[in-house]
Amino acid sequence: MPWAAHDRPFLDPAVVARLGTLELKARTVVEGLLSGLHRSPFKGFSVEFAEYRQYIPGDDLHTIDWKVYARSDRYYIKKFEEETNLDCHLMLDVSGSMGYGSHHAMSKFQYGACLAASLGYLMNRQRDAVGLTAFDESIVSMLPASSRPGHLLALLVTLDRLQTAHRTNVAKPLHLLADTLTKRGIVVLISDLLDDPDEIIRGLRHFQFRGVDVIVFHILDHDEIEFPFDRATRFEDLETNEEVMAVPGAVREHYLAQMGALIDRYRRDLGACGIDYQLLDTNRPLELALLAYLSTRSRAL
Amino acid sequence: MLSFLSPLFLVGAAAAALPIVLHLLKRQPEARVKFAAVKLLKRAPVEHTQKRHLRQLILLALRISALLLLALAFARPFFATGAALGNSGVTVVALDTSLSVSAPGRFERAKQLAKDALGRVPAGDQVGVVTFADEAETVARPSADRVLASAAIDEAPAGYGATRYRAALSAASQQFNGRKGTIIVVTDLQENGWDAGDRAVVPDGTTIEVVDVGAMPPNLSVTAIRALNDRVVATIHNAGPRARDAKVHLAIDDRPPATVTIPLGPNQTGEATFAGAPRGTSATVAVDDGDGIAADNMRYAVLGGADRPSVLVVSTSGDLSRDAFYVQHALAAGARGNPAFQVQGVGGTQLSTWSEDRLAGQAAVFLLSTRGLERRGRELLASYARSGGGMLIAAGTDIDGSIVGDVVGAGSTLSIVTANGSTRPGPRALAPTDVRHPVFQPFAGNAATLGFVTFQNAARVGGSACQTLARFTTGDTALVECPSGDGRALVLASDLNNKWNDFPLHATFVPFLHEVVRYLASTRAHASEYFVGDAPAGVRGVPGLATIESAGVPRQIAINVDPREADPARISVEDFQSAVTRLKSEAGFEARVEARQQEDRQHLWQYALALMAVFLAIEGLLAARTA
Repeated sequence: MPWAAHDRPFLDPAVVARLGTLELKARTVVEGLLSGLHRSPFKGFSVEFAEYRQYIPGDDLHTIDWKVYARSDRYYIKKFEEETNLDCHLMLDVSGSMGYGSHHAMSKFQYGACLAASLGYLMNRQRDAVGLTAFDESIVSMLPASSRPGHLLALLVTLDRLQTAHRTNVAKPLHLLADTLTKRGIVVLISDLLDDPDEIIRGLRHFQFRGVDVIVFHILDHDEIEFPFDRATRFEDLETNEEVMAVPGAVREHYLAQMGALIDRYRRDLGACGIDYQLLDTNRPLELALLAYLSTRSRAL
Repeated sequence: MLSFLSPLFLVGAAAAALPIVLHLLKRQPEARVKFAAVKLLKRAPVEHTQKRHLRQLILLALRISALLLLALAFARPFFATGAALGNSGVTVVALDTSLSVSAPGRFERAKQLAKDALGRVPAGDQVGVVTFADEAETVARPSADRVLASAAIDEAPAGYGATRYRAALSAASQQFNGRKGTIIVVTDLQENGWDAGDRAVVPDGTTIEVVDVGAMPPNLSVTAIRALNDRVVATIHNAGPRARDAKVHLAIDDRPPATVTIPLGPNQTGEATFAGAPRGTSATVAVDDGDGIAADNMRYAVLGGADRPSVLVVSTSGDLSRDAFYVQHALAAGARGNPAFQVQGVGGTQLSTWSEDRLAGQAAVFLLSTRGLERRGRELLASYARSGGGMLIAAGTDIDGSIVGDVVGAGSTLSIVTANGSTRPGPRALAPTDVRHPVFQPFAGNAATLGFVTFQNAARVGGSACQTLARFTTGDTALVECPSGDGRALVLASDLNNKWNDFPLHATFVPFLHEVVRYLASTRAHASEYFVGDAPAGVRGVPGLATIESAGVPRQIAINVDPREADPARISVEDFQSAVTRLKSEAGFEARVEARQQEDRQHLWQYALALMAVFLAIEGLLAARTA
């Protein structure tokens, strides 16, 4: 019985975290995802013929060259050279708040970087031009979108060198990037979105105004979602170093309500704008994020 | 002051440390977490942290309080007062106010010494004052008010009583009420203050200090007055180191006094004889002594025949020469021709005409016959006995046992079965069962002389409430004593008229009857002279003559000081201390009993437990909210 995408076992982030380099992580995630898909996601992506290949079960029947079959009585499928038809911009939040994640395999930043690498790997494989913009309260690092060979390596190196440090101002980099984009494409925002929702949404809509599709990966640590603390704790803000002494039992209900309201707000407002919103728990597999991207990608074509 | 009946349970209060220890053990170091979404927490009611901390402190306090209250309840707390208050010391100054310290200037010195002793009492101790002579009186109860104690000493009057150290120490130690105490005895250390073999008992731990007022000054005193037929003899004592001539005055009633002078050597006693003294009812003898004790310079005596007790003999006819010849003469016998008793005879029939008051004047009644004794007479005799009168019943031939039962009283179980005169069981002798009984006192050491009396016949007497005083050699009861109301009846199982026995013919007959009368009359003794300390109720304890009523009849009595107070003999402080016994258990036991009674009345432990329950309830509610 063939696997359905949602049935297959994805890689646990903890397993991914133990992999050596960012490239290896990205390759493992992407190849693992793609090898299980029934249909090639590359259908129609390119029109230039490349070669014939003997049919193997699972290939799309539409790609079978019936003329060759008539001549040789064997099934061959036609393979095409893929063409870049999208510019994809990965925007990775490297603010201090992304550094949280002490209780789990990967911090939000590591999870986001791994996600960005995987997306870059996936896009590069699809011949899409991929760029990277790292930001905190301003743009920290920017790699223009390109599909050239070797660009993936540059992107991975850039990702590998990033560190979390400063305060967050998501909206400002969004506006900056939106102003620089001249071609339609996809912007992927990877952030914990712990900033003013109004500003963030306004910034994201800026892309829409420019005809750019936007997909938002809202990365939160499991502790931020569940707030599992049980003893009086002094919470120190990763960005402002501001301290709050709180008894979890007393504040949990309020916190969860606040966090739930924030998530609902993003989900509701971004959905209303046609922006894909995906909440990612750093405990959950990265493949789910990739599937969400592919879904958006297919819509964009 | 808060005290505890079972203070050992307070050790359980250490359990209060348990919540503290648990609190400290369970206390974790403050957790610090670097967190991203702190801004969401800032909007949360983080002030609950401080409230929670406060709540935890309150919980801790409640738990500690509950454990403390539990320990407190088991320790049985109470607010101690009196005996149960045992922390502060008590010092009681016992000031001697007896006659011996009343010489000029001596009592003032004693007071000053007492106040000086007060000044030496440690700060914080309570002070009290007791004055003593024959009896002790607490004039200032222990308190912190030393001015009050000093004022009580100033106001203490010199008395006429004799020195009794035991009364002083007993009264002083009663003020301790279980506390540690000191008794400061301010006295002249007169030896007579301790009776022979006398010992005072004070609580263990009591400190006794003796402040010596000093030896008695030279003193002349009248120690006795004897009224003889034709003269009055006064005994004068010279308590001093030098010989003195004592000028003695005698006054009889209101007549002018007669005076004689006798020489007395150092510490010598002499007699001043006033020959040819006129008859009268009272005599006063005085000796001139300006330097010594004033109160013992005079002595009073009641003269006249009222001293001789009257004995009523109830016989068949009332003619004593015929019915009670031997008894009449035995009772009339006295030294130097003076009859010892006034003897009066009455027949059973005539007794009915007597009044109770007339009969009450009799020192004793001899019931020799019940013949003719009618109901009125029996009731009269029964009333006499119930009111303290004494009767001798000679169960001879004229005695009816059933009538005697009525006379002695319905409550008595006395029974007399008169012997049949025709049967003569044979001679027997009398043998006292207990020679220490007063009626056998003249025969002490020579009781065998009663054995010479031969009893040919005897009645059977006895009763469960009666005490056998003598038996016959046959084993039968010879003499019993039966209670009758406040009085008593002696029943001799034979007659006193030389019919069934030859007792009247023996020399033991007269002293026996005299002792019987004295014994029977002892409950209604009519003394004419009393010491100050023994003065009858209603008579002031000052030397002099007084009139009292006895059975409705007024009579004069003399109140004199105890002549022993004129004795200058002294004891040392060591001898004084050695006469005091310190008992360990008594004071502590009394204090414990008092403490238990106070605790029972206050039952504070119930309040402590109730408060603990309230605390636990609050703790439960608070803990549920804090969890």
